[in-house]
Formats: sequence, C-alpha cells, structure tokens
Amino acid sequence: MEEVDKILIHALKQVGTEVSEEINSVQQFSSELIVEAVVRCIRVIEPGLGSTLSTSLPPGMSARFRVGMSLAQACQDIGYKGEIGYQTFLYSNEPEIRSLLMCLVEKLPRESAETSDQPTGKSVVLQRAIATAIKSQLAVPWLPQNCRRLLHIETQGPEALHNFHTQPLSLPNCTKGPGKKQLKAEHTGVISVCACMLSEMTDYQRDILPPLTSQPSHHVSLVASILEQHTAELSTAQEWENEWKSQGLLSCLSPQEYCAWKLSRLRKRIEEQLRSAALPSPESVFGGPRSTSDLSELLETFRAPSDHILTKGTHFTHTQKFTFTQESAPVTSIHSRHQSDSDALHQEEELASLQQQLQQLCNDVTQLTADMKHMSVTNTQVLSELKQREQGNSEKEEKMQVKKKTVDLLPDADNNLLKLQAQVEAGANRMVNLASQWEKHRAPLISEHRRLKEICSNRDLESSRKLSEIKSLHDKICVSTEEARKKEEMYKQLVTELENLPQDVSRSAYTQRILEIISNIKKQKEEITKILSDTKELQKEINSLTGKLDRTFAVTDELIFKDAKKDESVRKSYKYLAALHENCNHLIQTIEDTGTILREIRDLEEQIEAENGKKTVANLERILEDYKAIRQENAALAAKVRDG
Amino acid sequence: MELSDSVQRGLRSAANPSSFDQSGFQALVDASFRSLLSAHADPGVLDQPELKRIDQILLKQSHAAAATFILEAVKQNADKSLISSCFEELSFSAERIEIFYSAYQKHKKELEHLLASIGRRAPQINDVSWRLQYHMKNAQVDKVNEPFYLISLNTENQGSSEDINFTCTMEQLQDLVGKLKDAAKSVEKASQM
Repeated sequence: MEEVDKILIHALKQVGTEVSEEINSVQQFSSELIVEAVVRCIRVIEPGLGSTLSTSLPPGMSARFRVGMSLAQACQDIGYKGEIGYQTFLYSNEPEIRSLLMCLVEKLPRESAETSDQPTGKSVVLQRAIATAIKSQLAVPWLPQNCRRLLHIETQGPEALHNFHTQPLSLPNCTKGPGKKQLKAEHTGVISVCACMLSEMTDYQRDILPPLTSQPSHHVSLVASILEQHTAELSTAQEWENEWKSQGLLSCLSPQEYCAWKLSRLRKRIEEQLRSAALPSPESVFGGPRSTSDLSELLETFRAPSDHILTKGTHFTHTQKFTFTQESAPVTSIHSRHQSDSDALHQEEELASLQQQLQQLCNDVTQLTADMKHMSVTNTQVLSELKQREQGNSEKEEKMQVKKKTVDLLPDADNNLLKLQAQVEAGANRMVNLASQWEKHRAPLISEHRRLKEICSNRDLESSRKLSEIKSLHDKICVSTEEARKKEEMYKQLVTELENLPQDVSRSAYTQRILEIISNIKKQKEEITKILSDTKELQKEINSLTGKLDRTFAVTDELIFKDAKKDESVRKSYKYLAALHENCNHLIQTIEDTGTILREIRDLEEQIEAENGKKTVANLERILEDYKAIRQENAALAAKVRDG
Repeated sequence: MELSDSVQRGLRSAANPSSFDQSGFQALVDASFRSLLSAHADPGVLDQPELKRIDQILLKQSHAAAATFILEAVKQNADKSLISSCFEELSFSAERIEIFYSAYQKHKKELEHLLASIGRRAPQINDVSWRLQYHMKNAQVDKVNEPFYLISLNTENQGSSEDINFTCTMEQLQDLVGKLKDAAKSVEKASQM
C-alpha cells in the first residue's frame, strides 16, 4: 500500500495539491486535504465541472455537508462506480478514499502524451530560452541611472551603441594563391610577373599588413567587419557548392576548367552587352569612333585578368585623359583670360576669330574624318572588287590554256583521238584498280571506325550513368547530413529537456519497484500453490485413512460378530468395539467442528479489525457533534428569523 | 557552427604543435581576446616574445581565424560541448581546448556586451509629468470647453536624457495607455512560454 500511496501523492502534487512532506500515506489525509485533492483532480479532468467547486471546506457544518454532496455528485458524474456520499469526504475511511483517489488519478489526462505532442525543434528551445530571459529581465527592478551597476547595464543601461558598419578586411592568404594564380598565369602567359607579384605579396603580408584586428580605421566597426567577412566567405562557399552540384557536375569539367569556362562566357556576355549598348549611341561624329575604339580597349582590359589591368588600365585612362583635355584645355585658358582682362575688345575679337577658326577646324576635322571613313569604305570595296577580278582573270586564263591545248591537238586528230582513248582507258583501268584497292583499305577502316564509335557511345553511356550516380550520391549525402543535423538537434533538445525535468520522478526506480512487487507476488503465488497441494495431499491421506478405517472396521466387525454368537466374552468385546468406533467418530467430528469454529473466529476477528479501521465510533461521535452543530446553527437561524 | 575555409585553415595551423608550441598558443589566444576587447586598435598586439619566432603570415592568419571563431562562438552562445566538438574536428589537443575554453569563459560576458552594443535602440522612458488643461474658447469658436493633457516624457538614450512634449485629448491618452498596457501584457505573455 505504501507504494500506491506514494504514487498517488506524487500525482496529486503534480495536479497542484499542497501535500506537506510529512504525509506519507492516504491514512494521514485530513478531510480538508481530501476535498482539495479531489477538487483539483476534477478541475484537471473536467474544467467545466470543477470550476464551480471550491478547494477549501467552509467552516459551517451545513455548508460542509453541501460541499460533500456536490463533490460526491461530481465524482459520480466523472464515472466513479463505488459507493460515495458526503460521508466519504467528511467522515473518511482509508480504503474508500484510496479507491476514489486511484480512480481520479487514473482519469487524469496523461501529461507525457501532451509533451510528446508538442512540436519539437530548435525554435522551441530558442523560444523557451527567450521566454526565460524575458522573465528574468522582468524580475529586475528599474533603477535610476546613477544607481545602476554593471549587472543592470545589459538590460537597462543604454550604453554607447554603434551602427553595424563594416569595412573590408584583408586576410593574409599564402596558401590560397597557387590554384588561382596558376590559372591566371596560363591565361596571360606571364608567369614570371605572377611569381614576382606573389613574392611581393608575401613580403607585404609578412612585414606591412597589420593584424586583422587593427585594420579597420574605427575600432568600433571591428566586430561587425569580422562577422560580415566571415558570413560573406561562408555564403560564397555555399553558393559555389550549390552551383557545382547543380551545373558543374553536369558539364563534365574539373572545377578549375569550369571556372575558366564560366569566366570566358561571362566576358563574352559583357562584351555583347556593351557592344549592343554602344551601337545606337553615336551622338556626335567625335563620339562615334572614339567610343568604339575605347570599347575595344575596355574589352581588352576585360579579357586580361586583374594582373594586366594596371598597364592596360592606364593606357585606357591615358586616352581618356587625352581626349578630354583636348577639349577642355582651351576653354579653361579662355576663361581665365576673359576674367583677367579689362580692355577685352581686341582679345574678344581674337577670341571670336579663334573660336571661328576652331569651329572651322572642327568642321574640317569632321568632314575629313567622314571623308576618311568614306574613303576607307570605298578602298575596301575596291580591294574586294580587285580580288574578284583577279580571281575571274585566273579562271579565264586556265580555260584559255585548256582551249589552247585542244587547238594544238586538232591537226593530227585521228591519231590523237586514239591516243586519248587509250589514255582514257588506261585512266579508267587505273580508276577501277584504285577503287578496288580503296575498297580493300576501306572495309577494315570502316569496321574500325564503327568499333571505335561503339566504344565511344559506351563510354558516354557509362559516364552519364556514373554522373547520375554521383548526383544521387550527392543528394543522399545532403539528405543524410540534414538528417544527422536534425537528429543532433533533437538529441540536444531532449537532453536539455531531460535536464529541465524534475529529478524526483525516477522512472527506473518505479519500474524496479514494480518488478520487485511482481516477483513478490510470484513468490506468494508459489507458496500458495505449495500450501494448496499440501492441503490436497493431507485431504487425500485423510480420505484414504478413513477408507482404511472403514474397511478394517467392517472386517473386524464381521469377524467378531461371527464369534460373538458362540462366545460371551467375544460379545463383550464386540460391544466395546462398537463403542470405540462411535467414540472415535465423535472425536473426529469434534476436531472438525473446532477447525470450523477457529476459522469463523479468524473471520470475525478480521471483520472486527476492518470495522475498527473504519473508525466507526469516532465517526459516530463526530457525526453526533456535527448534528449538534447543525441543530445549533438551525436554532440560531430560527432565532434570527424570529428576531427579524 | 559553420566555419569558412580560411578560418578552418587558420585554426588548423594554430592546432599544429610544430608551428605553435604550448606557450605560443596561449599567447595567441590571449592576444586574440585582448585585440577584440581592447578599446583601441593596437597594431602591435602580436609583437610578443612567445610569438616572435613564428612565421608572421601564419601568425596573422591564425590570429584572424581565432578572432573570427571567438566572435562566432559568442554570437551563437556556444557551450563547452559545441566548442570542443568544433576544435576536435580541427584536430586540437585536449589541453589546447581547455586553454581556449578557460579564456573564453573569462571573457564571454564582455564579448556579449561588445556584440550587444552593435545596433540601435529607441530611447527609454524614465519618467512622465502631465498637466490637465481646459480649452475654453478660441478666436474662431466661442465655446470649445474641452480638456486636454500636456504630457512630457522624460526619456534617456545612450546616457543623455531628453524630454518629449506633446498634447493629447482624453481619448488619445486613453488609447496611449491602452497600447502601453497591451505592450506590457504581450511581454508578459512572451515570458510564459
């Protein structure tokens, strides 16, 4: 019973009943405690039913009685089948209360089921952490600024805040270089320059580059910069991974080749874009040729990777500067002169003439460039025409030579005809010969070709199959890493939950106890069967003994009865025998009677004990007292009514 | 905790006993924490006798990686198991993990403050004073007869206090109070997850 009581008390505590530490069994429950426990259980099981009940017993006797009645009704509504009434609560006896509480606790909704239904995941843990943090911060009282200490700065002290401002950081990369650099070197073909640059870079990184943490100009932006840099690196790596998995693998190239391929494609696209953008915008005749020439240079710089950009770039800027300064230089000089001079007439004239001249020159230049363009176009046209003509010329010359030969052959026509026919025949023979030879060579070559083709297609098939395999493997890897991560998270969450759970519920202890109890019961059962078999054996023995006795008696009785007719003394002994038999029967009867009486006594004793356990006398006394109290209350009420 | 390639490389070289001996590693960890926490940038943070004989590029790399790792760990509120699993993957010895973790624990609070100080914050209301006024009439209307409140909120932001003054009618004030109560309630609700 102790175990059951402990489990009951634990369950009641979980429901919210305040059971003090000293109470270890249901026997020690007071009426108030019983009422509270029952009401709380009912509230959990059926909130609608329990909300009308109060957890405490009122002091007035009649009110108590009413509470008891309503509680009994509620228990019956929930589905308690045993006998129940107000007396169960007010005049408790242990077994009844225990069975009632057990019924209620069984009806409690399973909390474990609830917890397993809760959505699990990282977000739940995070939200819980946030909730606890908010709770702890809410518990901290507000303090005026000058009373604040370091402890409160976190939550209340608005210390100096700064924006998330990042600056580019430069990391010393001595091992990252080779792959990329080599690529560049292949591309530009200037290996020595690269090597030189590399050594200079390492020198710079070794001697001059400050450590990462002192690179930002404001120390405040250090943290933001580092975090941003790291996130950027991570995201680029991830991006590359994604792209490589989705497209790179399909292209059947090594990563470096894929990079190069992508780079060239990108360049081509930029080139095209720029071309198409530059075409429709030749606003001035000046702008037209310049933009195209600049564009080509710009594209040159694109084509050359960053190493080259310095030299090429400067070239580009030079030309840019040149074209711009050409226009702006006279303007600025004119401006200055205009401002400084006061007797400007002469100079203005000069200026006007100069401007005119400039205008004219400009016009000349435009015309000339246009002319030049036109000329160059006509030049190319003429050149192409010339080529065409030359081609026609040579063709005609060939034709003429053939005709000339024919004309030469004409005088001796028959002879020549024969010769020609012979030649033609020989040519045809040779042709046939060659064709047969060609066939001879061709057949093995074609078969070889077919074989190779087959091999090629086989390889293609195999490679595509392998590719698909690789892809599926990649997918599998992704899925399993995801799963592993999820499981790890789940494990962590469960561990934290386990840590957060109250430690007093030791499941293993319970199961151990249950197992112990089961083993005890098994032992008891064994003993009972043993005793039962003993009893059966005894019964059998008794039966056999009585049978033996009966038979012996019958035989003896017959023998002695036969002799008794002849002899007087034997008759006497026969009488004795009958008396002995009767007496023995009596004795056995008495012993059996004693046994039944003893059993009855034991039963009665048990009954007495049970009745004693019900505390009938005390309860009767209490009922009497309560009855008196009710009468008093009634009397008081009647007096009040009378007075009123 | 995800780490980029450069950080992993830097930490791996820091784990390598042939490039960093025990005292060198200790000095590196100390320097990393110090350089993050000091109020001013100190270019000479790596000029220490223990770190003199290490290759400067390697040293700078490891220092950058360590600083990044520290910030990421604090950002994710990493506990000991997470840090040690990360470090074990990068082949750190148990002693080095212990060295790092003790320094990490010592400075974690300060680093959290450092991270928390990034951002902005609305001013906090410390106090309020009010006055109820009665608007009787004006140039246009002879009888207005409306009460209105003059509210002055004393706020505090980054240590400096400032007053926000405004007037509002009764309904507006009730609305404001209701909103404030709602806010308080939702914060309480959020704390009871």
